Amino acid sequence: MLEMNPAPVLVEDMIALTQRLYHEARLLDAERFEDWLELLCDDVTYRMDLKRRRFRADRSPPAAVGAGVVFNENFARLKLRIDRLRSGYVWAEDPPNFVRRVISNVEIEPADAENEVIVHSVIVIHRNRIDGLARQFTAGRTDRWRHGTQGWCLAARDIALDHAVLPDSNINVFF
Amino acid sequence: MDVSDLVDTTTGRQKRTIYSNEELYKQELERIFGRCWLFLVHTSQIPKAGDYFRTFMGEDDVIVIRQKDGSIKAFLNSCTHRGNRICRADRGNAKAFTCNYHGWSFAPDGSLAGVPLENEAYFGELDRSKLGLVQVTHVAEYKGLVFGCFDPDAPSLEDYLGDAKFFLDVWLDAMPGGTSLLGETQKMELGSNWKLPVENVCGDGYHLGWAHAGAMSAVQSMDLAGLSVGNSSTNLEGGLSVAGMNGHMALTSLDGISGYAFYPEPKPMMDYLEANRPTAIERLGKVRGEQLWGSQINITIFPNLQFLPGLNWFRVYHPKGPGKLEQWTWAMVENDMPDEMQAAILDNQCLTFGLAGLFDNDDGDNLAACTEQSRGWRTAQMDVFTNMALGRSGPRDGFPGDIAAGLVSEHNQRYFYRRWQEHMQAESWAEVPTYNINSLSVEEPGNA
Repeated sequence: MLEMNPAPVLVEDMIALTQRLYHEARLLDAERFEDWLELLCDDVTYRMDLKRRRFRADRSPPAAVGAGVVFNENFARLKLRIDRLRSGYVWAEDPPNFVRRVISNVEIEPADAENEVIVHSVIVIHRNRIDGLARQFTAGRTDRWRHGTQGWCLAARDIALDHAVLPDSNINVFF
Repeated sequence: MDVSDLVDTTTGRQKRTIYSNEELYKQELERIFGRCWLFLVHTSQIPKAGDYFRTFMGEDDVIVIRQKDGSIKAFLNSCTHRGNRICRADRGNAKAFTCNYHGWSFAPDGSLAGVPLENEAYFGELDRSKLGLVQVTHVAEYKGLVFGCFDPDAPSLEDYLGDAKFFLDVWLDAMPGGTSLLGETQKMELGSNWKLPVENVCGDGYHLGWAHAGAMSAVQSMDLAGLSVGNSSTNLEGGLSVAGMNGHMALTSLDGISGYAFYPEPKPMMDYLEANRPTAIERLGKVRGEQLWGSQINITIFPNLQFLPGLNWFRVYHPKGPGKLEQWTWAMVENDMPDEMQAAILDNQCLTFGLAGLFDNDDGDNLAACTEQSRGWRTAQMDVFTNMALGRSGPRDGFPGDIAAGLVSEHNQRYFYRRWQEHMQAESWAEVPTYNINSLSVEEPGNA
């Protein structure tokens, strides 16, 4: 079979996508959830799997029904999470916490589909909640962004959380 | 420390110092976690010889290992030479555990299998037979749940569980295929004393409509206890708070479907319940088969195991000091459930009570703040109260235990603190009272 080398990603697309990641982070920091949803494709998948912590030589099989997830969301489920946060009853978020996202290590490569690209990035989320309590989540992200009539939209995000034990009592934030 | 004045179950009062005092915490490690049967692993998590699972008994790091003969042993996860941790993985399969420090190697049966330079450095004088891993005194299984106990004088696991088995069997023994825990362990660190989440899940229906109002308003199918958002109404006939079973508790609905009716797509769940209801009735009798199997039930095994048929999560809390714990959660299923139903349960458990659980994420800060507000010089002297519906309990036909009507009560919490006090006062197991209030004289199956 003939291998097709996908076309390299154009520099202007790289700039646009990097800017989009920063923009997304700023929208979420400001709790502009509805604006954030507009950056997502209708068929978006948003996923964070539970990770195994095994010896390198371990040969035990992966869990039959699945490892389980932290997030396994589509558009409707992301909307559901936003409905909860918007309800006015999520006491842990009132007063609003100080939340700041840092996005780095952005790397963009061609995807199989012509109008899509793969975007790797690292996200660090700082949260200051209740007096001096500050917590930080660190995760790697692998995204698929799709170019359509409205510009780039997020088609898929796989998040790898780098904590064996979640270092906080909730994840009321999006990555 | 004398704890006779720290809990008063006749009035429903606790001194806040029980959530913050370091000395009391050390006493808990000795008299509760060093004495009680503690959940270690589900048999489904270590099916094959050499499969192991790392967990904690109190603050003691433990490895639980499936043996060649199918039995299960548990050992302290600590090298007998210099004390190093010998296993750093969560679970897996291994032929041996080799210490990272000097290379001592232990077989799955705990024996010391290899010592580098044994002849050259120890001159062949090392008695390896005395240097095996330290074994957990008792390990026993109840229908898939494996427990360990450090205390040689402890009652048998069956006696320890007592009449709680009536409720345990609704989950563990309704279906012939047994049960499993699914997936990797969902681990969360909470700045809470370990007793507070146990107290919350064992009996606190009161918080549902308020603490989880955000989730309940967003996920409208999940009306957890017939409570309206904002805690404005409740139906006392909707369920039972059952306690007085050696410190174990159940909080249960009685409709036989509420555990699964809230799923976004409940039809396959309802079909499963309908198809298997006769089997459940045959195995458990009419009361449990019709009213409990399929219902939302919170089951608590003292001190730190809780699982909820219906929401289908299974959880232990490992204490990490008076003000800190690790909460470990899994999804649980009956093995007779079809694969798609198991997958839907795992997904829903992660959505609702997982690390980013729509409901679970509401509780942590409340529990942490209750812990923190027990630390100040003045607050530590104060009381907190679990006196709701005091004196309004009694027997109920067909059920064991001392029972209060409704899911909104603090009946179970009072029994939890009573058990805590009984253990903390007792010098040994001989001084710990055994009680199964209103025990059923006739075995359930057959009396329907």
